[in-house]
Amino acid sequence: MMPNEKTRHFEIIYVIVKFGLGSKILKEAKKCGVSGGTLFIGKGTISNRILNLLSITDMRKEIVMMISNQKTTKKAMEHLNKVFRFDKPNHGIVFTTSLTSLMGTRSCQIEDDEERGDGEIMYQNIIVIVDKGNAEDVIKAAQKAGSKGGTIINARGSGIHETGKLFSMDIEPEKEIVMILSDEDYTEPICNKIREELKIDEPGNGIIFVQDVNRTYGIYE
Amino acid sequence: MNILWSKLLEVVYAVLPITIIVIILQFTLTSLDITLIIRFLIGAVLIIIGLSIFLLGVDIGITPIGTQLGKTIAKSNRLWIVILAGLCLGFIISIAEPDLHILAGQVEMVTSSAIAKLTLVIVVSVGIAVMLSIGLIRIVHNIPLFKILTIIYGAVFLLALFTSPQFLAIAFDASGATTGAMTVPFILALSIGISVMKKDSKASEKDSFGLVAIASVGAIITVMLMSIFSRQSELASGTMEEEHHGTEALFMPFLQEFGHIAEEVILALSPIVILFFIFQKLSFKLSRESVRKIVTGLVFTFIGLVLFLVGVNAGFMELGTELGYSIASLEHKAYIVIVGLILGIVTILAEPAVYVLTNQIEDVTSGYVKRKVVLFTLAIGVGIAVALSMLRILIPGLQLWHYILPGYLIAIALMYITPKLFVGIAFDSGGVASGPMTATFILAFTHGAAEAIEGADVIVDGFGMIAMVALTPLITLQILGLIFKLKSKKGGMKT
Repeated sequence: MMPNEKTRHFEIIYVIVKFGLGSKILKEAKKCGVSGGTLFIGKGTISNRILNLLSITDMRKEIVMMISNQKTTKKAMEHLNKVFRFDKPNHGIVFTTSLTSLMGTRSCQIEDDEERGDGEIMYQNIIVIVDKGNAEDVIKAAQKAGSKGGTIINARGSGIHETGKLFSMDIEPEKEIVMILSDEDYTEPICNKIREELKIDEPGNGIIFVQDVNRTYGIYE
Repeated sequence: MNILWSKLLEVVYAVLPITIIVIILQFTLTSLDITLIIRFLIGAVLIIIGLSIFLLGVDIGITPIGTQLGKTIAKSNRLWIVILAGLCLGFIISIAEPDLHILAGQVEMVTSSAIAKLTLVIVVSVGIAVMLSIGLIRIVHNIPLFKILTIIYGAVFLLALFTSPQFLAIAFDASGATTGAMTVPFILALSIGISVMKKDSKASEKDSFGLVAIASVGAIITVMLMSIFSRQSELASGTMEEEHHGTEALFMPFLQEFGHIAEEVILALSPIVILFFIFQKLSFKLSRESVRKIVTGLVFTFIGLVLFLVGVNAGFMELGTELGYSIASLEHKAYIVIVGLILGIVTILAEPAVYVLTNQIEDVTSGYVKRKVVLFTLAIGVGIAVALSMLRILIPGLQLWHYILPGYLIAIALMYITPKLFVGIAFDSGGVASGPMTATFILAFTHGAAEAIEGADVIVDGFGMIAMVALTPLITLQILGLIFKLKSKKGGMKT
């Protein structure tokens, strides 16, 4: 158990790279003192007219999530950037966000007390969770509101609206998580557009939440 | 455009090994006709292009249809719909499989029409249909795979006691032939589509695999039953007619193959296309954009598979025969076994369905079971299978069941100690390994070798090679599972 103020120095690093690099990222990060990480497979959007004509609209990506203290994250990110060259276009994206709660690893839950660091926040991470098949619509809605694109993650879950049973198995419908990194100024319009198009305000249609992003490499305007 | 290059590069790495090995052999052990080598190289280029397009097509065409169908079946929540769907799907997919028609044609020729081609095709399709149904029931009712497999392989052993040796080989080969390049991705997607609905993620992962395995055993059982009921004990030894195109022709063989291969692929694709449009009208109701994507995917699948098969049949087949013949004619008989081992290893890398399976494994396990590891294990297994087949040609006393019986006993015993996920993966990969690349190139190589060896019977030794290729991965991949188990004992997966 750690005191609350210490926990605030923990951050989560997200790394989004092309499929197959995830394990290497984790290995490199461990060299810098990161204790471990979680990986999952996702699909990223491609905006290329020729490829869209051929119906190739997404490619496999790997997402790595790693949690460690602020000092280690900074060191790890700089090291990763050196090794994987995220500062070049199309080499992947890395960003960290502060944690508002951290459970099960090395501390208890903490309350976010609205305090932010000195650094100006440039980007925000919008996370949208919807029923499977709607992620494309989320991306489209976001793009209408000025977003550059997004990353789709396959997931599964059930809320209060899903209690189906099938033979001897419970049905847990598939979900899709959409992660959109947006400029702070665009966050509000993007969220509103998604709410409107996906009818998020009606029960059982999905969830949206937003995290602040501290440092990014690899985003090009 | 990065994505296209990375796909192409992936495929180049898959086809390059076999090309390099053949060229090395050409400069060391053999000296084949130069037109054959040039045709082989043209074939390799066609295979690279075809395989890339085919894999893209499977990704955006075949797999989505399979998964959608699987979900629709599971959502119906009625047992009779599951059974009916299994029967219909199994029958029409199997009856449209070109590899099965080729095998049935060969059997008809060998048995001097004692077994009509159509009879065998229908018998096999019925077997696949029944077992696919049982496989679907297994998934929705959470019956463990190893129990089902133990029971059905027990039945296979019992029936094998009453079946003549030649029929034994035909039965096992038929099961390998029905799981072709098109059916495996489709059946895999189907089972993943159903399994994905499960709440228990462990069970969902385990049950994603094993459907191909259960379905392909259906062919073995029905062919054996046919042999017992028709009392065909001795088959008249016919002859295999080798088609000889003039070796001087460089491009003609490619053009000759093109027409009938296009027909075959259309035939194999048709059930999937028809099913898709029927269900799109009735239940999928996908958006126009999604339908456009899937149709594009199907077109890719068609073009890719045609190019791939033309490359294999016109570029690789004849060279395989000549290669087998010339190496088996060498003074040292050890060469043929070693070359068989190496060819087995490099050929499997270029097998289309293997890519689909390994990708699905990665997707289902979120990258826990890496593609390269599975590929490597599979390649070792197939290499051993081909080497053993060569031994069987060299040593007249060795018979197919001398391999098959202990092999399957080991495979079944391993099921009880290996992680359950790997049981499904291993038994599915048996069907995957016996695809078009193996069935043409390696089979031609085996025939060539059998022709060169005194006292080897082209028919008896020719049939049964596919059965071996389908068997060895069951053992090697389950051993891989055991290794995974030992390695991940400390704390399990990374979090």
